[in-house]
Amino acid sequence: MKFFFRGKSIEAKAEDTIAAALYRAGQRIFSRSFKYHRPRGLLCVSGNCPNCMMNVDGVPNVRTCITPVREGMKVKAQNAFPSLETDFLSVTQHFDRLMPVGWYYKTFTHPAMWHAVEPVIRKAAGLGEVLPTLPAKYEHSWMHTDTAVIGGGWAGIHAALAAAERGDQVVLIDDQPVLGGQLRYRKAAGELPAGAIARLQNAAGVKILQDSSCFGMYEGNLLGVLQRNPNEDTTERLIHLRARHTVVATGAYETPLIFPNNDFVGVMLSTGVQRLLHLYGVVTGKRAVVAGSPPDAEEVSADLRAAGAEIVVIVDPGQIVTALGSCKVEGIRTSTGSFSCDLIVVCGPRVPNAGLVAQAGGKLQWSDAHRAFLPADIPGNVSAAGDAAGDMQPNAASPLSRDKRAFVCLCSDVSGKDLCDGIAEGFDQIETLKRYTTATMGPCQGRMCQLPAIGVCAHETGRSVSDTGVTTSRPPNPSVTLGALAGSSHHLVRRTPMHYAHEELGAVWMDMGDWKRPRYYKRNTGAQEKECVVLEHKSVREGVGVIDVSTLGKLDVRGKDAAKLLDIVYTHRFSELRTNQVRYALMCDQGGIILDDGTISRLAEDRYFVTTTSGNLDFVHQWLQWWLIGTNWDVHICNVTAGYGAMNLAGPKSRDVLRKLTDCDLTSIAFPYMACREAKIAGIPALLLRIGFVGETGWEIHCPAESAEELWRALLDAGKKFDIQPFGVEAQRLLRLEKRHIIVGVDTDALTNPYEAGLGWAVKLDKKDFVGRALLSRAKEHQARESLVGFVLKGTGLPKDGAAVVVNGQPAGRVTSSRFSPIQKAAIGLAWVKVSEAREGTLIYVRVDEKLAPASVTMRPFYDPEGLRLRQ
Amino acid sequence: MSFLLACPNCGKRSVYEFRFGGEVKQAPAADAPEADWMDYRFNRANVAGVQTEWWFHRSGCGQWIQAVRNTVSNEVLESFLPGERG
Repeated sequence: MKFFFRGKSIEAKAEDTIAAALYRAGQRIFSRSFKYHRPRGLLCVSGNCPNCMMNVDGVPNVRTCITPVREGMKVKAQNAFPSLETDFLSVTQHFDRLMPVGWYYKTFTHPAMWHAVEPVIRKAAGLGEVLPTLPAKYEHSWMHTDTAVIGGGWAGIHAALAAAERGDQVVLIDDQPVLGGQLRYRKAAGELPAGAIARLQNAAGVKILQDSSCFGMYEGNLLGVLQRNPNEDTTERLIHLRARHTVVATGAYETPLIFPNNDFVGVMLSTGVQRLLHLYGVVTGKRAVVAGSPPDAEEVSADLRAAGAEIVVIVDPGQIVTALGSCKVEGIRTSTGSFSCDLIVVCGPRVPNAGLVAQAGGKLQWSDAHRAFLPADIPGNVSAAGDAAGDMQPNAASPLSRDKRAFVCLCSDVSGKDLCDGIAEGFDQIETLKRYTTATMGPCQGRMCQLPAIGVCAHETGRSVSDTGVTTSRPPNPSVTLGALAGSSHHLVRRTPMHYAHEELGAVWMDMGDWKRPRYYKRNTGAQEKECVVLEHKSVREGVGVIDVSTLGKLDVRGKDAAKLLDIVYTHRFSELRTNQVRYALMCDQGGIILDDGTISRLAEDRYFVTTTSGNLDFVHQWLQWWLIGTNWDVHICNVTAGYGAMNLAGPKSRDVLRKLTDCDLTSIAFPYMACREAKIAGIPALLLRIGFVGETGWEIHCPAESAEELWRALLDAGKKFDIQPFGVEAQRLLRLEKRHIIVGVDTDALTNPYEAGLGWAVKLDKKDFVGRALLSRAKEHQARESLVGFVLKGTGLPKDGAAVVVNGQPAGRVTSSRFSPIQKAAIGLAWVKVSEAREGTLIYVRVDEKLAPASVTMRPFYDPEGLRLRQ
Repeated sequence: MSFLLACPNCGKRSVYEFRFGGEVKQAPAADAPEADWMDYRFNRANVAGVQTEWWFHRSGCGQWIQAVRNTVSNEVLESFLPGERG
């Protein structure tokens, strides 16, 4: 197999990880450190430390030591310029005096200064670069199980097997490609339990997820699991796993020793050496010094000797003075002498990987005997097993160092000296020390540095480790890519039944919630939005136009108590509405604030057809249901929005068009304004509402969704002779604004009551009771503070939505909607102003293009104020 | 937030299937002082502990239910249809 590293082709074996193949090919420096840009090489080889992070196929911060090689993948270094071997920014380490612990808190105290330097620091201290679009693909899935076992080592295998044999459904999560845990690379730890593995793999109800990490335990026994490369097309899959019982068998991980230059390339954990050797056949050095105590030191020495390496000496960790070399290991100085070598193998303390137990509500308690934090007070839905539970050999004492080149935290270059300085500055509690120095807060999330940081803190403050305590374990750990959390990028799109007819007509789309609606129709390729909207506007005002209004929320409310319910939740009186009549419907909450508006048509004594604004449908439906609770009323509410298509035919010639398609008498005497009829249009059963949002003679026509496109085409056909034009949302917004019809949520906000919005006529306070009555009856008597008024701009320009209104040099309100009106030949709009300004003809100033433009207030519609046209 | 909520109609479901509907509380009488109405409309008890609250099972049965929940631990002690508390 071959892949590319910095454009060069690298050979790899089938089971190789990227890091193993690179190491075999001679690469030693894998990254540059966060702050000082010191060269770093492989250390843990287990996906814990930050040293091997690279950019793989455009994805930054990939831990190459656990990422399998794929044919042709492109790998490059990050945070190094111009190359890993020569990084100009490594000069920063010589200025470490200028960058003490907490230096940016101390230095960049002024916001302006921070804003000036932030981009530079971000780049210098980068952890890779995020591309605006990634080639990676992510997905989510959901699973449920009786028992989840985290960890595929000896304990995990046997826990899973025991649960399966008891009859449980089991999911086993292992972060390695195959089961076996440390038995795969530590021959001294025992034989692989081949029999148990085979039984587990064949057991019923067992699902084994390899290459998968559990990154957190959440409420309700929810486990977050990240599965790498679950299939050909997917980079990562995030699994939401619910388990009745969780077994934490995550083992223990080895941590570094703290001594000067312990971050040199060539200092490697003993388990890292063993992994490279036994999993990938890579011998990590020719002449090795092993730092550690028995039995670990002897175990790894024997492994290396057997592989042909020379063991120069085995030293006790307490004897180490410093690693020697410039950035790569050339030797080691100890209290008994100096030794030349190309590899320092450190046998560090092992930390039970029990963060999940803490997240589940348990504790991590220091054990002097083990020299480790062990899980305690484990809640009932969780158990711990194996090394994670503390079932491991005790750690030897490990030395600490106050040297400025003895790195405790490799992720953000925090040394023993930095920790001591932080403590001297007063951050002597482990949680504040962590926040101040950022130790344990980097990509390793404390896996490498938590134990030594606690050790330094305990030592410097004279407290015991147990009293010093442990930093809180929080998910996610290990870190999760944002892409995996976001999942696949599915955008819900709702299309009306006439969608494709609009497309043929050249619709330019706009998004309204999930819906696609035509904003306007581009009639020829060169047409601009403005001229199209003017044409659409003109055809409605002078001829005939038709707009798709299928996105309106539509509810069928029926039952003998339907009138009672509508009387309660709407401000108007619907029990008195006669059959075949339509009425404007306004809904307020108990504070008298406008929630929604629409129309209600009474189709029969016990049947109403309710429309809502497009975005509020679900809310209104749930609101109606809520008010039914406990009433025992006979009311059924059905959401029929998707079942009906709807269009509004409007304009002085609309009757001429409709007459050609129906037998229904459309004269104003037989079918007056605010009436509704059920009739056949072009043979299609339809409900016709004679209402006029746009202010012209017109009908809102509702018909079964499956016939809506046919009806739309029939209207356009019949209207050809009258030069009918489809019109979009933009023209509709202009037309309604000329009529001063408000849009709830655009012209009103979360504090608007009907009196302020000029809708007081729709509130029937003489009704015995309805939602909002208590406060609305008071609002009517109180002087309102603000009022929604119309304005006509004098001069040119168009105010933006939200533009400020200024009176006498003081802020006095804001614009909610504004458009250029071809009827007024000026910009018109709606604005909130103080009640004192809400008089016909008052002069106000509106901000337009950073200047104040004079405008005059009007309380009447801009067009046909008497409403004669829609009654014609 | 990832706890499970037992819907009396649909059984234990992820809380993401529900819409939170606020604390269960008694509306003032129609002629109660304005201050009472303002309090009812705008103020919340916001207890750190057990409270009864409304939930709407949006992605399930489409019904309003009530649940008794500890707001600190997110433990749901009880859930029932309105007026049918056991």
